[in-house]
Amino acid sequence: MKLPATTVRFALAALTVLASFGASADQLADIKARGTLVCGTLTTTEPLGFQDPQTRQIVGFDVDMCAAIAKRMGLKLEHKGLSIEQRIPELSTGRVDLVSAALGYTKERAQQVAFTAAHYQVPIRVMVKKDAGIDSFAKLADKRVSAVKSATTEIFARRGLTKSEIVTYQDGPSAYLALMQDKVDGFSTSHTAGLRYLAESKGEAVFINDSLAWEPTALGVKKDEPAMLAAVNKTLEDMEKAGEIDALWTKWYGPTTRFAFAREKKLTPIATFAQ
Amino acid sequence: MKDLLLANPDYVTLLLHGLGVTARLFAISWVLAMVLASLLMAVRSAARPWAQRWVWLFVEYHRNVPGLVQIFVWYFGVPQLLPKVMQQWVNRHDGEFVLSCIALTLYAAAYMSEDLRSGLRSLPRGQAEAARSLGMNYRQSLLYILLPQALRASLPPLVNQTLALFKATSLAMTVGVADLMHATRQIENETYRTFEIFLVASACYLAISWLIMGAGAYASRRFSAARH
Repeated sequence: MKLPATTVRFALAALTVLASFGASADQLADIKARGTLVCGTLTTTEPLGFQDPQTRQIVGFDVDMCAAIAKRMGLKLEHKGLSIEQRIPELSTGRVDLVSAALGYTKERAQQVAFTAAHYQVPIRVMVKKDAGIDSFAKLADKRVSAVKSATTEIFARRGLTKSEIVTYQDGPSAYLALMQDKVDGFSTSHTAGLRYLAESKGEAVFINDSLAWEPTALGVKKDEPAMLAAVNKTLEDMEKAGEIDALWTKWYGPTTRFAFAREKKLTPIATFAQ
Repeated sequence: MKDLLLANPDYVTLLLHGLGVTARLFAISWVLAMVLASLLMAVRSAARPWAQRWVWLFVEYHRNVPGLVQIFVWYFGVPQLLPKVMQQWVNRHDGEFVLSCIALTLYAAAYMSEDLRSGLRSLPRGQAEAARSLGMNYRQSLLYILLPQALRASLPPLVNQTLALFKATSLAMTVGVADLMHATRQIENETYRTFEIFLVASACYLAISWLIMGAGAYASRRFSAARH
């Protein structure tokens, strides 16, 4: 039986289309062919990703991480500003290749997004008013604790302070204001983000001397892209060996900055936290 | 089917609880807003000029300032004016819910009073004159003759306003009211399954909006029949 020429052509065209789908299944190959790495960061979180008032550029630790990774992978960086809620949808639809945006690791989240090794860890604290006489998490039982909606601090507060009522707010300043107006008795925040509010309170607020958790923070890659994940992980390892991550950390969090916060834990494989 | 988001009973409980809070927030502020709107309309259409100007100011503020700002003013601003003891009392008694309810009530009442007023103005002058000539005073003529007709005439815009109020309840999430939107965002935060959970939330909002529209259509059929 001889097939009509149009059928053969159609079949060939269909095969070509299928083949191109096959090619795009490997994101790393696509990125290399394109020559640019689209990397997303937050835009209103100092010092991770925020607008420099002078240059109007988005700068910060996360932005520098993007740039360093792109450079080591031999790619041109294309920066993209993201909101907290945008991070995962943008990654799964492929509009960004890499997310470097205070991405806290949890097991549930790891089902939706591939985490790289954790490049830093931050203790989650609870801030209280100095004169409230609360000096341990136990004393927060039956009291109200604020957290920022859609942040990992909300998750850690719900897990670690099961006897407290967790009240969530739209952003950090609101959750802090709720503490200062006595609407809540505690405010759960990452140590780094909280420093800004401690300074703001002029000594009226303090951290409880304990941590709810050490939050592993990593970069995010689209799920089921093993080549891409391996390439980013390899780059992170090389950067850690060369002391590059430490150098960037010191630039934004070092003793000369108003954060003055040490990077105690080095690059850690994400599997460590998966139990 | 273990991968289905709603197969997790914790998330279903969370959503149902959120739905309950949304329903309560909506129902309470709707009833209060309707009562307040009627009062505002009565003042606006008959009281002394200075009282009318106050109502005008009230309506202008609530129609021209974003709802989110109004909720923030009531939650973070107004309680600061109260004595310390009362502030603590409010904070201990579900302040998030009560203060959001007040803000939503005032916000909706401003719009609804204008809808009612335009309904009232659509009535022929003869209605008011006839009522007065029967010996009714202003209150009686408003209550028994004018308001029922004004309500009927302004039913379509009131249904619109009701829908707007229902959707505006989601703003209360920003000050920690655990409503449907709050539950949605919490599940999203824990699982990162953004599309699925927002799809579920949309379906919930859509279903209730349809119920409200259905109730509005029923009311307009029922009452327009009484007219003839």
